Formats: sequence, structure tokens, C-alpha cells
Amino acid sequence: MQLQALMMLSAENTQELVTLVPWTFIATIINLFIQMFLIKKFLFKPINDILEKRKNLADKTIREAREAKEEADSLKDQYEDSLTSAHAEAAKIVSDAQKEAQSKADALVKEAQEEAAGIKARAAADIEQERKKAVNEAKDEIGSLAMDIAGKVVEKEINEADHKKLIDEFINQVGA
Amino acid sequence: MSNDFSVVGPKIYYTIHTGIPILGDFNITETLIVSWLVMIIITGLCIFLTRDLRIENISKRQAFAEMLVEMGNNFVRNNTGGNKFDKLIPFVSALFATSVISNLISLVGLRSPTADLSTEAGWAVVVFIMITATKIKTNGVGGYLKGFTTPIAVMTPFNILSELATPVSMACRHFGNILSGVVIDGLIYWALGLASAALFGLIPGVVGNFLSNIPILSVGIPAITGVYFDWFSGCMQAFIFCMLTVMYIANAAEEG
Repeated sequence: MQLQALMMLSAENTQELVTLVPWTFIATIINLFIQMFLIKKFLFKPINDILEKRKNLADKTIREAREAKEEADSLKDQYEDSLTSAHAEAAKIVSDAQKEAQSKADALVKEAQEEAAGIKARAAADIEQERKKAVNEAKDEIGSLAMDIAGKVVEKEINEADHKKLIDEFINQVGA
Repeated sequence: MSNDFSVVGPKIYYTIHTGIPILGDFNITETLIVSWLVMIIITGLCIFLTRDLRIENISKRQAFAEMLVEMGNNFVRNNTGGNKFDKLIPFVSALFATSVISNLISLVGLRSPTADLSTEAGWAVVVFIMITATKIKTNGVGGYLKGFTTPIAVMTPFNILSELATPVSMACRHFGNILSGVVIDGLIYWALGLASAALFGLIPGVVGNFLSNIPILSVGIPAITGVYFDWFSGCMQAFIFCMLTVMYIANAAEEG
């Protein structure tokens, strides 16, 4: 093995192992920038575009979901409101009906009481009248009785009319 | 079978006489041919991977392409801490892809373009210019020049040296690793060829003569050593080169 050969070249058609060749150097730099441009154009641009698009799509989906949720929430609120008002209305109807029934019942009771009072008053008036009638009859009876008794007591014939006058005075004095 | 071992530089296929002084003749070397091949491979791969892109229900190919792009984005963003250097992403990616493919192309028997110092020197000089440009952009020309006198004026020559050492060390590190791989691979093949010639030469007669000309032992062992010297070293050096590029540029952008 020849160490010399390791470090150097020999054949005509090879360049030195460790050397700087200006043209290769320049070509490498140009190649690097061409490669950069190619990678940018063929890999980064399309892939970044597609990533961006996917991101937008995901954002859009999330936004739409959020909007749908908000809409559902507002609908729910609306339904709850209308349900609450329906309850209130029902309660109002019931209470109105109760009030009406109560007032009707009250009116009926009052009417009945008035009627009863009327009947009672009439009955009282009748009774009074009957009583007066009875009293008058009794007066008449007592009068004639007294006349008979007086006639018998005094044994004296008195004029019927004077007699009656006398008796009435007596009765009035008694009745007062 | 030759008993001599030699590692030679890239072959020169054709020479164009330019007559320009300093730059000299333009040689179409193995380095250039293979680096064009590398570019074709990378670009073809990019086009292949980004075919038929979809937003939903993506193919494995697209997933892989997206993974590569995300890796490139994250690599640069994580090491610079933000989106400030997003313009660097395609550059760093191109650097990494070219470096890796160039290093690994030796596996198919071609000569790596990275086993030629001119290649790495070109890359390192581009990176050096970017670092310097970033520094000047951040601190202004005065600030940049003043930076050499820190912490004290006496340090100026050393600061200039260390500044220049950056591209030199980057280029030589990468080149040295790849070249050592080439040399060691060559040595292993050469040694195994000799060994199998010696081993099968023991067989007498025509059979021995025939078999000793075939480096049978070369099958197998180089694949194992190649895991380190080609695969690991190749990927590692590409990674280190790109890492240093990003780090240096990110550091240069800090006020200093």
C-alpha cells in the first residue's frame, strides 16, 4: 500500500483529492440556489397552500358549528320564554275562571239571602197583620162581652151607641 | 487484483478551455455530474410527492410531503425562535436535501459531490455571506465593524480569525467526514478483496485462480460499516451543517 497514493492523484483524468476548483465552487453555489428555487416551487409552495386551505376549512367548520350552537341556544331561549308565558296565561285563565265562579256564587248567595230576607219580612208582616186582626177581633169580642157584663152588672139599659163609646174608652185605656 | 490502494479525486470527464485567468479551465467533473443528478432526484421527488394534492382524505404520499414541509418549518422556527426567518426555510431545506442525497448517493457506487471540497466551500461561503449580511442588517455597518473590537480592541485580529474560521470549519468538517467515509469504504473493500484473494488462492488449480479474482468477502461486511460511515455520518453532517447555518444566522440577528 502506498500512502502517497492516498494523498495524491496520479491519473491524468482526475482532479486533486483535496482542492478548491473555482468553477466547481461557483457551479455549486448556483446549483444550491437553483435547488432552493425548485424546492420552494415544487414542494413548499403547493404543500403550504394545501395546509393553509385545510386550516381555513377547519376554521370555517368550527365557526359554523359555533354559529349553529348559538342559533340553537337562542331558539331554546325563545321556546323557554314562550313556554313560560303559556304557563302564565294558563294560570291567569284558571284564576279568572275561579274569580268569576266565586263572584257568581257570591251573587247567588246574596240573592238567596235577600229573597230569604224578603220572605221573612213578608211573613213577619203577615204575622203582624194577623196579630192585629186577632187583637181587633178580640177587642170586638171583649167589647161585646164587656157590654153584656156591664149591662148585666148595672142592670141599666144604656143606649147602644153610648155604651160602645164607653167601652172603647175603656179598652183604649186598657190597651195603652 | 491490484495490491496498491489509492483514493483519487473526482474524475474529470471533459475540460472546457475558458482562458480566464484565476478561474482557469472549466472541468466537467464527477462532482458536477453527480450533483446535477442529485438535483434531478430531489426535484423529481418534490414533484412526485406533491402530485394530486387534496385537502381531505390525503394519500400517504401527501402525508409524507406534508411531514417533510412541517419538519423544515419546525426546524427553522424552533432554532430561531419565531417566524422571523421563514424566508430561510427553503434555503435550509435545499441545503439539507442536497447534502443528504449527495452523501447517500455514494451507496449506489457514485462518487458523492460532497467528497469534493469545492462543494462544501461553496455552501459555506453562501452561509458566511448570509451571516455577515444579517449582522450588518441588525447592527449597521458601524456596529458590525465595532463588534470585532469587543471585548477589547486587542482582540480584533482574533475576532477576525474566528469570524473567518466559521465557514472554513463548516466546510472542512463536512468534507472531512464524507471523505473519511470514502477512504474507509475504499480501504475496507480493498482489504476484503485482498483477503478473499488470499483465502481462495489457497484452493489449487483453475477453481482457485478463478475464485481469487472475485472479492467474495466484500459482500456483507461493508454493508455493516456503511451504516455508520455512509448513513449515520451522511445524515449527521447534513444535519450539523444546516443546524449551524440556522444557529449562526439566528445569533447574527441578535443585537450584539
